[in-house]
Amino acid sequence: MRPSSVYLGGLLWKVPWKLSPTRKANTRARLKKVDAVIEAVRSSGIQCVALDKALQLPKEHEMHPRDKYTMFSATTRGYRKGIHKMPKWTRLTHRVNPKGF
Amino acid sequence: MAPVRCLATEAAQPLPANAESISPTNTHFKITLRRSALALGEKKQKTLLSLGLTRRFQTVYLPHCPSAAGKILLLKELVEVENVPASAVRTKQEQRQERKAPKGYVVKGNKLRESPWDI
Repeated sequence: MRPSSVYLGGLLWKVPWKLSPTRKANTRARLKKVDAVIEAVRSSGIQCVALDKALQLPKEHEMHPRDKYTMFSATTRGYRKGIHKMPKWTRLTHRVNPKGF
Repeated sequence: MAPVRCLATEAAQPLPANAESISPTNTHFKITLRRSALALGEKKQKTLLSLGLTRRFQTVYLPHCPSAAGKILLLKELVEVENVPASAVRTKQEQRQERKAPKGYVVKGNKLRESPWDI
């Protein structure tokens, strides 16, 4: 018996290894919305530690496409995998990856 | 007479005397919940509750302060923020009244409320 997805129940969920152009466009739009929120808080003139940390994040136009659509993975060949493989990735912030990868 | 055209290199006109009322200083955050915090953990869900946001697309007005800013930044992926002046702040009831459509009629009186022995 080979424990394949077909054998284990007969149902198969396919997850593409990379994002489609539509998903990439939506990702860029989401990043811009977060940038707008940080900008609104910054322009209010309030100073706080959370804002200092948020301003260190790169903006969407400063990010390399590799960082927008992939994330660091220590166990994958090439040390990168699709960012869509991270649970709740559309509602979390993940902009920075280890340098050199 | 033809309208006068100004070059972009000309110096900007000085602000009129009532500049404050034209562009008042923003004192509040207008926070709208766009995405839910389901499955994001108790911390974010309780932060939303502390902001007064209980359902998606709900709008809440908070005065500028570091605690409000910190809460917004914790929820920056879920929320839409705008800086507004104090004149734009609306309570929940006021927001509801603004959403209501006009009925198209005005009730002038009620015959049933007058004395029952009048004909």
